[in-house]
Amino acid sequence: MRFTTLKTAGTVAALALTLAATVSFAKADTQLLNVSYDPTRELYKAINEAFAADWKTKTGEVVTINQSHGGSGKQARAVIDGLKADVVTLALAGDIDTIASKAKLLPQDWAKRLPNNSTPFSSTIVFLVKKGNPKGIKDWGDLATEGTQVITPNPKTSGGARWNFLGAWAWANKSFGGDEAKTKSYIAALYKNVPVLDTGARGSTTTFAQRGIGDVLISWESNAWLALDEFGADKFEIVYPSISINAETPVAVIDVNVKANNTEKQAKAYLDYLFTAPAQKIAAHLHYRPSDPAAADPADLAKLPKFDLVSIDKDFGGWSKAQQKFFAEGAIFDQLYKATN
Amino acid sequence: MPRTDPIGESRLIQWVLIGISLTFLAFIVFLPLTLVFVEALRKGFGVYLAALKDAETWAALRLTLTVAAISVPLNALFGICAAWSVTKHNFAGKNLLLSLIDLPFSVSPVISGLIYVLLFGAQGWFGPWLRSHHVEIIFAVPGIVLATTFVTFPFVARELIPLMQAQGTEEEEASLSLGASGLHTFWHVTLPNIKWALLYGVLLCNARAMGEFGAVSVVSGHVRGLTNTLPLQIEILYNEYNFTAAFAVATLLASLALVTLVLKTILEWRYADQLAASHKH
Amino acid sequence: MSVAVHIRNIEKRFREQSVLHNISLTVEGGELLALLGPSGSGKTTLLRTIAGLEFQDGGDVFFGDINARQLTLRERRIGFVFQHYALFRHMTVEDNIAFGLRARPRSQRPSEHDIRSRVFELLQLVQLDGLEKRYPAQLSGGQRQRVALARALGIEPRVLLLDEPFGALDAKIRKDLRQWLRELHQRTGHTTVFVTHDQEEAFELADRVAILNGGRIEQVGTPTQIRQRPENTFVADFLGQTATEATPIAQILPMKRKPQ
Repeated sequence: MRFTTLKTAGTVAALALTLAATVSFAKADTQLLNVSYDPTRELYKAINEAFAADWKTKTGEVVTINQSHGGSGKQARAVIDGLKADVVTLALAGDIDTIASKAKLLPQDWAKRLPNNSTPFSSTIVFLVKKGNPKGIKDWGDLATEGTQVITPNPKTSGGARWNFLGAWAWANKSFGGDEAKTKSYIAALYKNVPVLDTGARGSTTTFAQRGIGDVLISWESNAWLALDEFGADKFEIVYPSISINAETPVAVIDVNVKANNTEKQAKAYLDYLFTAPAQKIAAHLHYRPSDPAAADPADLAKLPKFDLVSIDKDFGGWSKAQQKFFAEGAIFDQLYKATN
Repeated sequence: MPRTDPIGESRLIQWVLIGISLTFLAFIVFLPLTLVFVEALRKGFGVYLAALKDAETWAALRLTLTVAAISVPLNALFGICAAWSVTKHNFAGKNLLLSLIDLPFSVSPVISGLIYVLLFGAQGWFGPWLRSHHVEIIFAVPGIVLATTFVTFPFVARELIPLMQAQGTEEEEASLSLGASGLHTFWHVTLPNIKWALLYGVLLCNARAMGEFGAVSVVSGHVRGLTNTLPLQIEILYNEYNFTAAFAVATLLASLALVTLVLKTILEWRYADQLAASHKH
Repeated sequence: MSVAVHIRNIEKRFREQSVLHNISLTVEGGELLALLGPSGSGKTTLLRTIAGLEFQDGGDVFFGDINARQLTLRERRIGFVFQHYALFRHMTVEDNIAFGLRARPRSQRPSEHDIRSRVFELLQLVQLDGLEKRYPAQLSGGQRQRVALARALGIEPRVLLLDEPFGALDAKIRKDLRQWLRELHQRTGHTTVFVTHDQEEAFELADRVAILNGGRIEQVGTPTQIRQRPENTFVADFLGQTATEATPIAQILPMKRKPQ
């Protein structure tokens, strides 16, 4: 009796696994998986369609690009744990570096393989405030004023939040003439004004725009414009500070995975396509800063004003240094955030 | 105050208690549930339908039903096996098995998901072996099935064990002594005696399997149209400012839950006699 | 008369505790034998061992010449009546009684027509005709007892084993059923072994009585032999007691009503 039951159990389990396997392998012609960070959903939805059409006319092959979105750090972790990404398009180079160093899925010098440090488009960090700017927020300094509630996600989990932090740091560093103690006390005052640290940029935006918490959201420029589109320009407005950071969001092919999936050709073509005029135009239209502005619609470019932007490489010595100095366990962010709470 | 019933509470206290319960239910259960439907239909029925027709939402619904269709029967089977061995046999390690059955209830679902990442992830114990044999578990359907099965394992077993304990083994012994085989005994004696409890456990298990978020979120990989279940799809839609669609999909889940509830009520009402009889010894 | 059941040197332990110690006993064909003893004496364990529901640690059970070790539970063909009847609660009386026949492998199974006529014979035998569509929960204790008996007889058993057949019934019904069982036995002639802690029941009903104590057989004999020549002090003491500690309350209560 017990034997028979076991046998039945075995049969059912085998059937179940077969069914599961069938579902997971029921795929179209060629599929690519683009593992991306949180706010790029609309961007890649548009670009993927354009690329698929372009690839079809060029080669006759049907290619489908699947998307996975999440906090940049979390997504890098998933790729390390085995998420079969053909390409990654993350919020910062540091996260791709981690995939290269921890899981050896691509070479350390991946950034050199594509133009412009493998960055087809970038963004920057701006402020989103309520219509009419009732708190009169003009620049980074206003965020540290007592009684102003600031919404920004947690730099430990969100790539955007790390850019936010560095933007604030860059302003303070410039304003206080490089005085690190003053810079630190400014940052501490700013984070004292943060009532809740969400895990990702999208979470923060919903907290601010949907739940109406906080006076100002520190946000990706693209994300702020999208919020205006979604919630209406009569509810919010964007404030450009005097200085911010050039938030480079790089892309890379995951060599080991494309080899296993036999998608090397398509994955490379996909990333190359991001640098072409049609893709650049789409990106500019969705409020990303194109690496080739000539390809963009001037009306879209006009929305993205030129202002003083610092660089992660030139002003902070690259991501590995910045990570070490600011965001590692017990580094500056931890010290300042712990001191204020 | 006049005593009105044998239990001895005054009518006033009765009414207060009933009032508190109903108010609590109204605020904690009924109000949010209504809100889901109101939000979903706020922009009209056409928008609601359009939101449900989205290809990724359909894929999520299909995946959710597929996962439930695999993990619920598995858990029904394993639940019966576990309840059978715990209640009808004596063996070393029985208490250990009993505690293990409860484990998924006491472990946070996120941890349950992480366990599978640690086991089957690329950096995990079986990662290299799985990769060299081209078997995908984590960030694919098998991982989602595993995590869901783990989280919902106790429902059937928990429902069956007390009943089977109360029923004892005499009927099975009678059947065997009358010459029936083990399998015949199981089909004709054990199963009919536990079928209502089993069905009830399966319903609960199914409700949880379709609604599970935490564990599935960890192992899903969030690939749109491929590895997102309904709860994950709701989160995605919500984070895309697509509130109407998010709530529309939520009404799907809520409706599935309501169907479960109605089925359960019908079962209890329809088979109240048999339930009572099978609980009697 | 032929030997129906022969028990040789049975040993049985639960964990470290010895519950049956070197038990040997012979049951003649057609005999009605009582296993009598206080609670914990091992009588039910012995009965279950004969049935194959427990397995002995040592010794053998023979049915005629066949060692029971070679037989499956089905091949033993034991009609076992449980103390609490163990009727299948989700089946009608008819389905309960037909269970053993329907559970047979296809090649040995009688036709559905034959099964039904056999069931109705048995219902008449236990005087329950007309109740075949009832469920066990709708029957009185005595009726359930008789269904259990009919179900056990349904498989044409070589031996009928009854575990405290009247234990769960009140005194009046016990007496009636006892009488009825005696008559039934005389009519059908089944070799029958039953367990009881009630000596009045054992002596009134059985052809022979085996008295057990602490996992051993103290004495085997006809009621007259045992009454007149108890072989040891335990048997003498046990017979001297009128109501042992194991007497069910159901039996004491009606007695109380009698004027002393």
